[in-house]
Amino acid sequence: MEATQATPVKYDMEVVRWFTIAAAIYAVVGTLIGVYIASELAFPFMNFDIPYITFGRLRPLHTNAVIFAFGGCVLMATGFYMVQRTGATKLWSNGLAWFTFWGWNLIIVLAVVTLPLGMTEGKEYAELCWPIDIMIAVVWLSFGFNHIMTVAIRKTSHIYVSNWFTMGMIVMITYLHVVNSLAIPVSLTNSYSIFSGVQDAMVQWWWGHNAVGFFLTGGFLGIMYYFVPKQSGRPVFSYRLSVLHFWALTFGYVWLGAHHLQYTALPDWTGSLGAAVSLAMIIPSWGGAMNGMMTLSGAWDKLRTDYILRFLVVALAFYAMSTFEGPVMSIKSVNALSHYTDWTVGHVHSGALGWVAMVSYGAMYHMVKKLWGVEKMYSDNLVNVHFWLATIGTVVYVVAMWVSGIMQGLMWRDYDEYGTLTYTFVESVSAMHPYYAMRMVGGLIFNIGTWIALFNIVMTVRQASALRSSSAVPAKA
Amino acid sequence: MGYLGMDIEAMSTNDWLGVFFALVSAIGMVAVYFMVFRPANKATFESQRRMALDDEDHINVGEKR
Repeated sequence: MEATQATPVKYDMEVVRWFTIAAAIYAVVGTLIGVYIASELAFPFMNFDIPYITFGRLRPLHTNAVIFAFGGCVLMATGFYMVQRTGATKLWSNGLAWFTFWGWNLIIVLAVVTLPLGMTEGKEYAELCWPIDIMIAVVWLSFGFNHIMTVAIRKTSHIYVSNWFTMGMIVMITYLHVVNSLAIPVSLTNSYSIFSGVQDAMVQWWWGHNAVGFFLTGGFLGIMYYFVPKQSGRPVFSYRLSVLHFWALTFGYVWLGAHHLQYTALPDWTGSLGAAVSLAMIIPSWGGAMNGMMTLSGAWDKLRTDYILRFLVVALAFYAMSTFEGPVMSIKSVNALSHYTDWTVGHVHSGALGWVAMVSYGAMYHMVKKLWGVEKMYSDNLVNVHFWLATIGTVVYVVAMWVSGIMQGLMWRDYDEYGTLTYTFVESVSAMHPYYAMRMVGGLIFNIGTWIALFNIVMTVRQASALRSSSAVPAKA
Repeated sequence: MGYLGMDIEAMSTNDWLGVFFALVSAIGMVAVYFMVFRPANKATFESQRRMALDDEDHINVGEKR
């Protein structure tokens, strides 16, 4: 039965508030670590010969902080928020949601302790030691079970497409994380993967690309399909296209991982299959991006005044760009130039900063106003300043890496008339310096924006609390 | 043959499982396209377009802060 007009509903939103604030904090910390390690690459003295802060140890801390701490908290905040509101019901278990919150944050604390100490499994985006991997599985399942059970007890007949994206992510990330983390422990902090050689590489990138595909794309597309219509006040352009978008991504993404392993010991056809499916994925990805953008049909003028909407729309532009660039990079002839270069780093960051972070902040600003019951943010101008810092920072970062990466690829493959390499490797490293400095500046600009966002969110919360206190006094009197 | 050649005799259990899942995915995808683009289903799907907007009709009465 559909919920009727003005249906009274009991929501459990306190845990959503905590996840939202945590996400705003982790964005600051995660990007700050990113800026520091970028500066280490540009100016190596900044390693200070202290093992705990070297690039090799802080890089996984940066990726874990931005993907799983910031991204994870955003996904859990929005996941719990959307499933309650679109289902017209409270959470299946508020207690379990708090277990998820504290469990997820405990995992983040353990990452902060273990990674600088050099305790790692050495698997990209899955570096944490095996006991923490088990904790991740338990806490993730608590989130997933609670979300799916909340869908089960919904008061509406239809399951909104955003919840499908979230549930697809939950199922696939559980499967991917468990299989990729299968290992034989030899001590509390050390273990060996049960896979070996090229199979280990294949499983690693099956996980690696699907962490991007389901965690950083599928989950955030769920956010897009809810918050773009909400913020623009327009219904989603085509619901049919959104359904197709979901199923095409779900069927297609799992095949892509092999494109990370072109020209390796992996059978040649596997990489070709990965590239072919990658190219096919442009169709649903662009269909989805267009669907999001066309949702603004008749409301484009809002972009002039609605700074939160700007975050969401620019995120869609970066989503479209990244989902075109990725498949092109997976083609073998392009991959021969791009692989192992900074082009890949640029591609990842156009997706991570331009798509994930932008859509996250659009959703967070929208939620903060709803969650704390205020009409506007503490400062709309600061939202605008944050938007421009985020956009300019992303563009500076990505352009630096594009130029650097393509230059690297060209230098590494250049031969002279005698058939010997024109450049030594160290010459290519030296040529990268200006771009590494430029990348650091781009990251710093983006990081400043996250500080402004945190300030604005905290001040909005404080203002809302003050407003409630002042309005409560006369009522008591 | 050549690049696209296939030695059926040498297919392992894993290979057959891969073929099975590839076919299931392909057939599933075709089924989804058919279902989504079938004109008779248009009204059913598009009736959910406003669902995200309509949740403003629910009033949160359950929280104490």
